[in-house]
Parts: sequence; C-alpha cells; structure tokens
Amino acid sequence: MHFGYTGKILTVDLSTREIREETIPDRVYEYYLSGIGLAAYILYDRIPAGVDPLGPENIMGFVSGLLAGTGSLFAGRWMVVGKSPLTGGWGEANCGGSFSPAIKRCGYDGIFFTGTSEKPVYLYVNNGGAELRDALHIWGRDTVESEAMLVSETSANSRVAVIGPAGERLSLIAGICNDRGRMAARSGLGAVMGAKRLKAVVLDGKKRIDVHNRAEIKRLSQTCNRWVQFQPPIFAGPVAAYIGALMRILPVQMAMDGMVYKILLKKWGTGGMNQMSVEMGDAPVKNWRGSSVDWGIKKSLSVNPEAIRKYEKVKYHCYACPLGCGGICSTKGKDGETHKPEYETVLSLGGLCMNADVDSIFHLNDILNRAGMDTISAGGTVAFAIECYEAGILTKEDTDGLELTWGNSEAIVALIEKMIRREGIGDVLADGSKVATRKIGKKAGAAAMHAGGQELPMHDGRNDPGYNVHYSVEAAPGRHTVGAQMYYEMFQLWKVAKRLPRVKPLYFKARKYIADEEKAVTAAACSKFMNIANCAGLCLFGVFLGAKRTPTFSWLNAATGWNKTPEEYLDIGARIQTLKQAFNIKHGIDPRTFRPGDRVIGKPAQTEGANRGRTVDMEKLIRDYYRQFGWDPETGRPKEESIDRAKLRGDEYGI
Amino acid sequence: MTVRNSVAMNMAYRITDKCNGCGVCMRLCPVDAITGSKNALHGIAKDRCIECGACGRVCPREAVNDPFGIPCIMVKKSLWENPHFDQITCVSCRICIDACPAYCLGLSDASTDGDPHARPYIADEKACIGCGFCARECPVEAITMAVSPGTQ
Repeated sequence: MHFGYTGKILTVDLSTREIREETIPDRVYEYYLSGIGLAAYILYDRIPAGVDPLGPENIMGFVSGLLAGTGSLFAGRWMVVGKSPLTGGWGEANCGGSFSPAIKRCGYDGIFFTGTSEKPVYLYVNNGGAELRDALHIWGRDTVESEAMLVSETSANSRVAVIGPAGERLSLIAGICNDRGRMAARSGLGAVMGAKRLKAVVLDGKKRIDVHNRAEIKRLSQTCNRWVQFQPPIFAGPVAAYIGALMRILPVQMAMDGMVYKILLKKWGTGGMNQMSVEMGDAPVKNWRGSSVDWGIKKSLSVNPEAIRKYEKVKYHCYACPLGCGGICSTKGKDGETHKPEYETVLSLGGLCMNADVDSIFHLNDILNRAGMDTISAGGTVAFAIECYEAGILTKEDTDGLELTWGNSEAIVALIEKMIRREGIGDVLADGSKVATRKIGKKAGAAAMHAGGQELPMHDGRNDPGYNVHYSVEAAPGRHTVGAQMYYEMFQLWKVAKRLPRVKPLYFKARKYIADEEKAVTAAACSKFMNIANCAGLCLFGVFLGAKRTPTFSWLNAATGWNKTPEEYLDIGARIQTLKQAFNIKHGIDPRTFRPGDRVIGKPAQTEGANRGRTVDMEKLIRDYYRQFGWDPETGRPKEESIDRAKLRGDEYGI
Repeated sequence: MTVRNSVAMNMAYRITDKCNGCGVCMRLCPVDAITGSKNALHGIAKDRCIECGACGRVCPREAVNDPFGIPCIMVKKSLWENPHFDQITCVSCRICIDACPAYCLGLSDASTDGDPHARPYIADEKACIGCGFCARECPVEAITMAVSPGTQ
C-alpha cells in the first residue's frame, strides 16, 4: 500500500510501438522519491553509455511530482528528462501549467519514451489505456495551434505537451510546450522529442490520487496560503528600479526574505524584477560585457513592471498555485493573446541585446513560444551573434543582409524568425552559441556565453557568486533554478535542518565574494533541497517563501505516510545529485568543462557598473562544493563508493 | 497497440443482482467503468472505478453497493449536491477543475470589479454528478457541496 505516488510508469518504445506499464517498487520511492529522483534512477540505469542524444537509444521522460494532486499548494511542476543534445549530459527541463497532475490522473508517475518512430506520432492516454496515434496532420504546426487541434480531436479536457517547428527541425535549443505557451525549455529536450518524431503527449485521465492524510495536507496548505495572500499595497512599478539602485550603492545587504519577492511576484509576476535586477547588478547587459551604466534606468524604463503588466487581461495560475505570477496578455498577434513575457525572456531579448523595444519583446516571446524555442538560449545566441557582427567576425554577407547592431530590434526579430525556420544565418545559430562557434570559427568563442553548451540565464554571478557555482557544478549546467546565495537565504533551511548555517539578517556585501567553505555548504544545501522540490514537483517560487512557510517536508510526510526528517530528505537530495553527476561521467562528460566564460566569472573584473572590481575564486568554491558530496575535488567525479551509496542495490529493492 | 492501465489499490462500487440492466448508471459513469447489455446484469470494472458514487445515486433499483458493501440509496437528480464556491476564500489554483471527473467546471474571465484572477464556476450544471471531489480536494475549503435552492 502506498500513498502520494502511483507506483507505476509507462514506457513507450516508439520503434516497435510497444507500450508497457511497469510497477516500480516502493523501495525506489523511499530511496529517490518521485519526479526528478525517479527519473534519475530510470535514466542512469537504462541509457547506455555514450549514445547519441538524438538517436533511438536515448530515453526521454515526462515526470510528475510526488505532491501533484495531493492538495499541496505549488505542486504543479512537471519535468522533462533525457540525455541533453545541448550539453551531452544530464538534461532536465521544468515547467508549470496543467500537465503535472494529468500524468498522475492517468495512473503514472512518469511516461518514458525510447526508440524513434518512422512517422510523426503522438501518445494519447485516457482512462481506458494508451495508444500511439498518427500526427502527420499536426506536424509543422506551431505549439498553440497544435494544442488546439489535439484538444479538439481527443477531449475538451486533454492536457497537451507538444513541440513546435523548432523541435521538429532539431534545433538544440528547442523546448516542450503546454498550456499554450508554458515551456519546459532548457537542456534542448524539444530536439530529442523531434528526433523521436513524437509530436505530442496528450493526457486525459481521471484517476484519483490516494493520499495518506488529506486533512493534514489541507491544514498545512492553509497555513502556507495565509502567507501567500498577505499582500500589502506597494510602490508603483518604475520605483522598483530606484530600490535596485539603492541596493547597488549600499555597502551592506539585508538577507533576502521570500516574502518580499512574493509580494513583487503577486503584483507583477517575474517582470517585477525587470529594472531592479539591472540596477543592482543581477542582470547581464550587452552579452555580459555591459553593466547598469550601459543600460540605465531611462533605457530600461520601457520594460518597467507596469509597462509589461498593462497588457495583462487576467492572471495566469499554474495548477495548484495560489499565487498566480503568470498573466494572459492581449496582443496584436495571431490569437490576440499571449502569455506575459517572463523576466528571463524580457532581459535576454532586451538588455542582453540592448533592445528597448517592448513591442518586439512581446512579439518574440509569442513566436518563440509558438515555435517551441527557449527564449533564454535564443536571446543569448542573438547577443552572441550581435557581438560577432560588431567585432567584424560576422559580416553583412554572413547575416543575409541583416544589420546586427546592438538594439536593432527589427534585425533581432528577423534573425530569430530565421533561426526558427533554420534559414541562412538562422541555421548557423539555431543550435545555440556553442555549435555556432564551431561553424563560425574559433574567434567567435570569446563571445559565446554558455556553460557546457547551455546559454546562461539572466542572473549575474558577479553579483551573486552562488549563481556561478551552480552554473558550473550542476549536472545540467547553466541553470538559475537550483541555487544562489540569495536562494539559500530565502529557502531558510536552517529553520528546519539545524545543522545548516544560519544567515545573518544584515551583512557587509564584501562577504559575498569571499570563497570560504560555508559558501560550498550552502550551495550544496541548495542543490539537495531543489532536488527534493523537483521530486515533489514544487515550484521554485513556492519554496522561496521559506522552509517553514512552505512546508515541503511536512507535505511529503503527510502525503506518503512516511516519517522522515528534513535531514533524511536532504540526504535523498544528495543521493540524486550524485546519481545525476554519475550519469554525466558515464556519458563521458568532464565536469571541469562546465564553466561559464571568463567574462561571466569576472576575469578580468568589470571596470564600471554595479559589479565593478568583482571577481571570486571560483575554482576553490567548486572544489569545496564537490567535497560536500564526496566527489573528487579536482575532477568532480563521484568516487566509486559514493556512486555505490547513491545506487539502489538489488537486495534493497524489497520486492 | 494499446495497453490497459489500472489502479489496483482502489476499492470500487459493485452492482448486485437486483440490477435489471436499465443502463442509467452506464450512461452517467464519468469513466466508462460500467458495461452490460440492455436488460442484463451490469458490471463495474474495478480498475476503472474512481468511487464517485454516481451510479449509486442514480440507480432506481438500489442495486449498487458502495465499497463497504452498503447499498446506495437513489436520490432525485434535483436533490443532488452541487459545488458552491466562496469567491473570497478561493485562490484560483485550479485544483477543483482538475479534480472534476465530469468536466463540468470552468474558469471565468477576470471579473470586472478589479479582481485580476479568474475563478472557477459550474459551467455545465447538468453534467455535475455531485461526487464532491472538487470540495474534497480544494486546499483552502472554498467549496461547499449543497443542494441548489432553485432546483428543489
């Protein structure tokens, strides 16, 4: 008897069209939980070493979280996993929307695909069973159109995860889309789906999800909800920039409390940080070369929180979210509406390319969502191309006549349209900046801002070195959703796991840039904790409220009937981290190659702007981080015994 | 190629030999768990049943036993309980919409009184089977199940 999870996965071999249901022993869930842990367990064992990520032997999975459908708030995230064609190693992408409970309503914790289909197909699962259906008539259509067509030919309540033309054309920066524009965008897993000729996964299940103690979950949810709903009136949108500027000038810093961020999120969504981030040095400008001096308050005013929100017709909530940071905006586009551009999108297509044209950002957000292409990687790659053009590495001939200068919004739009269609210069850039460097030539390398092949997100590690640590050490590199010093402050894990270091409420900023061992301890804690959140399917913004206010561990215990302590859960997180790292080693990745460009880590340090003079001894931080998990501090390889500890031995299955 | 999925641990409703095969339950069942030919004893597929109890409420011969073996009593459709939403407590999390096996809940557009959040409501009252799953799963207890006053 088990609660919270369904105990089963569906495996689909697209080559033979064989669909199988597998029962996963309870022991596996106690060892790895569900979600990303379950995925790591399956993928580590089953993907043979060194396979082509776009070949038939790669396995890609869609997993739900342990808490999805249990009545826990913020439990609406689903994850796509597989060997990433972008980095060559562990790939994971995380997304909200309504797909996560749909997986469990079909009776599964995850759906895994192997093989390659001859013709385009989609998987349809309903209460009766699962079948592969022909998708030739949808192939080539954009994600929003495809979703509407699939809903109309299956059931009005179907939940759809679908790739767009970018994934079909095997663009290595393609993602997977649900709810008309929410994307599991990173790690290039859309290309894996495209290579398998799997257009979509369509789910329409109605199964119940059994929970050990629903009353307790509700009680915890209601306490959490009281924090979420506390929303005092705050300043007007453009004022946020001045607060950011103040934070830049002050020599001291207050430990960030998730409640502050929550209030911004609830009012504006992630866009609340658009200007503030630039001012405080958190947002990279001009392909990481510029600073708040190049992109001052006046220039970024066009994307101030209010300028974005004014198009919002209604708030968008993912499943189980009481906060609602998303929004549906009215636009001039195809359907007259689109998802509100997120902070990452606005900054990667805005400040990073010095583009102040808010209309172009709305348009690009819409066409990228429809094409199923990652906005972060697309923006990063465009910024790379602009820098190459400005430096004369790319000429007007190479760019098919486009004047790729900083902030030329018309050229940026034209370039991204070319990338989606893989036309001319677009074909060179459609696989991200690492592949483009290979095609353009070595000289371009200095402009490619990626870690292990993945374009970096819009958080500057020169401001918060924690980001740079996680860009480098995670099995899926270049991700901002795992940890940072600020994240550790917000998670407030020390309130539930007493071993962990407490953060001072007020401290001198200079302390952030000292590479002491505590930084590695807190970074490791972030990795472990986010693994647990991704096992549970919780939203990052939910867990930002703090471990006491968003009771992750208590929810997990109430849902499953287990009685694990927060420390025990964090040990599970560590186990998953080691297994993901071992996955990379198995596939021939040298963890030392996962380093962002020198510019990003402050070598040489910037001479002006918020992050001037800042540089941190990254190598020491990374060595210390590896030590936290018992990996070799020099190479980042998990030692044999730590892999053994992370793997479930045969006799531990308890079948 | 198809595969049947199942949830082994769930208990299910059961049809007794009082059944005359009228087929009312079969038409109402939201998960197509009930099979049987006209005027013959019907059966409930255990692996499909989600225990919504709609068959028990609708059976004119009281031929359905709940998972504990207790015979269900027929209730007139107009006396079935419907969800009633407390819009002030509601947090727009969409859990109820996902929980509804009859697909009768919808999400409103943002209201005009300055509330930017879309709220759930009964979009298709006739389709509601009165299972109460929405109220059971609502994390903030914003849904009460009650007989709509107008329909009594």
